[in-house]
Amino acid sequence: MSESPRPELVVDGFPKRRARWIELATSGDHKDVGRILVTGALGFLFIALVEWILIRLQLAIPENKFLTPVAFNRMLSLYGGTALFFFALPLVLGLAYYVAPLQIGARGTALPRIGQTGMALWVGAAVVLYSGFMWTPTEAGVNPLSPLTETAFLSNNGVDAWATSVGLATLGFVLIAVDLLTTLRNMRAPGMAWRRVPIFAWGATVSSWLMLFIGPVFLAALTMLMIDRNYDGIFFADGSGGAPLLWQHLSWIFYSGSYMLVLIFAFGAIAEIVAVFSGKPLFNRKAVMVSLAAIAVLGTLAWMQNMYTAPIGVGWMYFAMLMSLALIVPVGVIIFNLIATMIGGVLHMRAPLLWAAGAISLISIGLAGEIQQSLVASAWDLKNTTDATASTHFALIGGAVFGGFAALHYWYPKMTARTMGETLGRASFWTTLVGVLVTFVPLALAGYNEGQVIDAYKYFNGTGVDGYNLIASIGSLILVAGIVMNLVNAIQSRVNGPEAGHDPWGGDTLEWLTLSPPDPHNFDVLPDVRSERPMRDIREAIAHRTASPELPVRESEPVA
Amino acid sequence: MAPHSPATDQIDTLVWIGFIAAAIVVVAINVALFYAIRRYRGERGASPRQISGGRRVQFRVAGALTLFALVVFVLGIVFTDKARETPTTGSAGLVAEKGETLEIEATGQQWLWRYAYPNDAFSYYQLVIPVDTLVKLKLVSTDVVHTWNVPDLAGKHDAVPGKTNWVLLRADKEGSFTGDAASLSGQAYAAMRTEVKVVSPDEYEEFIETQKTDIEAAQERVVGLIENGEVP
Repeated sequence: MSESPRPELVVDGFPKRRARWIELATSGDHKDVGRILVTGALGFLFIALVEWILIRLQLAIPENKFLTPVAFNRMLSLYGGTALFFFALPLVLGLAYYVAPLQIGARGTALPRIGQTGMALWVGAAVVLYSGFMWTPTEAGVNPLSPLTETAFLSNNGVDAWATSVGLATLGFVLIAVDLLTTLRNMRAPGMAWRRVPIFAWGATVSSWLMLFIGPVFLAALTMLMIDRNYDGIFFADGSGGAPLLWQHLSWIFYSGSYMLVLIFAFGAIAEIVAVFSGKPLFNRKAVMVSLAAIAVLGTLAWMQNMYTAPIGVGWMYFAMLMSLALIVPVGVIIFNLIATMIGGVLHMRAPLLWAAGAISLISIGLAGEIQQSLVASAWDLKNTTDATASTHFALIGGAVFGGFAALHYWYPKMTARTMGETLGRASFWTTLVGVLVTFVPLALAGYNEGQVIDAYKYFNGTGVDGYNLIASIGSLILVAGIVMNLVNAIQSRVNGPEAGHDPWGGDTLEWLTLSPPDPHNFDVLPDVRSERPMRDIREAIAHRTASPELPVRESEPVA
Repeated sequence: MAPHSPATDQIDTLVWIGFIAAAIVVVAINVALFYAIRRYRGERGASPRQISGGRRVQFRVAGALTLFALVVFVLGIVFTDKARETPTTGSAGLVAEKGETLEIEATGQQWLWRYAYPNDAFSYYQLVIPVDTLVKLKLVSTDVVHTWNVPDLAGKHDAVPGKTNWVLLRADKEGSFTGDAASLSGQAYAAMRTEVKVVSPDEYEEFIETQKTDIEAAQERVVGLIENGEVP
């Protein structure tokens, strides 16, 4: 043993050969790729907010002429595409890509170049969408329903640019999911059985599986759309054997799945944060794990919940209703267990827990609204009204913005060695919360009481929705102010944030064993994982050893 | 919405059931969350008991949630089925010959609704129907997907090109009901509105007759102009 110790790989001070940005752009390190995705996603959050504000300014007063109908439809389409494909999904996958390998004690990812290619495709997608913005963006809506997207109705290349862009992004997400999944399956630290995998990394596993199923479905639909538009295809054109409803089926599978993906991510991150900041283990981990997987399956199978008004058999509608309502069970179990984790704990009310609690609250409002949208006959009244807009936004702002900011506050010290400003974080939280409520409660009421329809560039005088819309527009400004405060917080804390050390929160999982920011190879040594809270075990062992100096020094080598 | 048709009565009831279910969920979760945060807020350093869960409480919670979801699901089916029932023509309604129901074709086109009546008369924007009479509205589209939406009289249903969709309604009150199309269909989508004018059966008969004669007269006039060479 003594004559040939294992050689240590020394990477400290390894000379940088090229400029920093070239190193970053060409790096296959999951932390670099994850940082690019997260930073880019937060940038696109700002752009999506600008687009949302333009939409709300147009809708602030009845029969407004601030935007032309075409400009409004373009803003709407860009807002939808940006919010989902360039903010929510990359933020979710980027954070998972950064954190999950660290949590399972991996020294990198299994297929780093695949993941990096995914990120590069996503950047390319963003360039395509926003260079389209220079000439002629799509005006076909958030989920552009066939046959409006056929060349007969929209002949300029906006729809082509949109389809190319979201197709590249989706392909990128699928590649990132492939890499994540391979890593999570093969590169877990010794002793880390699935039952000991951190809940966020489990969420990343479920999300990646989900993306692996829904991504190719959407890619197929987009390919058909491109063939229709450019090579005289008839997939979605009626009259020659095509079926407009086919697009609805395929695209809603993807959109419903993405909705679930964001929620699964959010619940994973929230569960991690709630457990750490309560000083307790997550209540019934196994039930939460099963529930996360159930959300992925049930939520995606409920895709026809979006098609109650379409000419499909009522049996299919009942099937979709059953799947949607079945979601009550796993979502309810998760939220119950999150609150049960808090009960009896010692809640350390820092910004991550604050945002996480806000996320639980908003998601509960949004998904409760979705109950009404899931009841077939009730949806015949409420579908495609601003009530549906409000429900979706409550759930997705709760998941992607509040859940995302909770995760960002929580893992920011790991990425930068500094914590985000607490005061600004709190001020931002309350402002954003007020903004969300003031924006979307009136919109829900306008849809609920007056049936205001979605996606319309104007509404008429005397329809009784003026007040609701004006308040919602004012609320949007508050909402944007709140979110921008936190974005500013994230930017300036890079330099000015309080120094955090390597484990500022006393986390339970292995990412807190690494340096902040972690070395390129993540870990020098890995513990043998004996429970679902390996860092707590390590801290206890250290405390035990410090308290009893008479113990003999351990001779054996660290595992791995 | 103010329901004025048997179907919208049921829809309205189910909307209320959904609202109550949603309210229960929102209140239960947020009260519990707020309580937990107020009650267990503390400072760092204290070490709480490491309770990691109980099987029985988990099964009870899951059971209660399943029961809740099932009740909502069954109510959803019951009231949706009621809303789908074909209403019958009442005593004040139009007595059709040979027991045929009144079938009107509604064609969605960018950005207008065209209504074709059984006697070949047609109208744009405004649909005229007799009160207390079963009307089968046949939804078709000539271009993109349009959603026919008059919330007081019926639920939303799509007119999809190449497909046929049906709206069954019976207006129980004379008057005028408006609605906006509810699927983005292009530039002038926001202006794609419709009005349903519910009148007495006699007025309805008179309307479609006048409409028919007017249309025929107009067509004859146009044909005459073309034959005389005044219009190319």
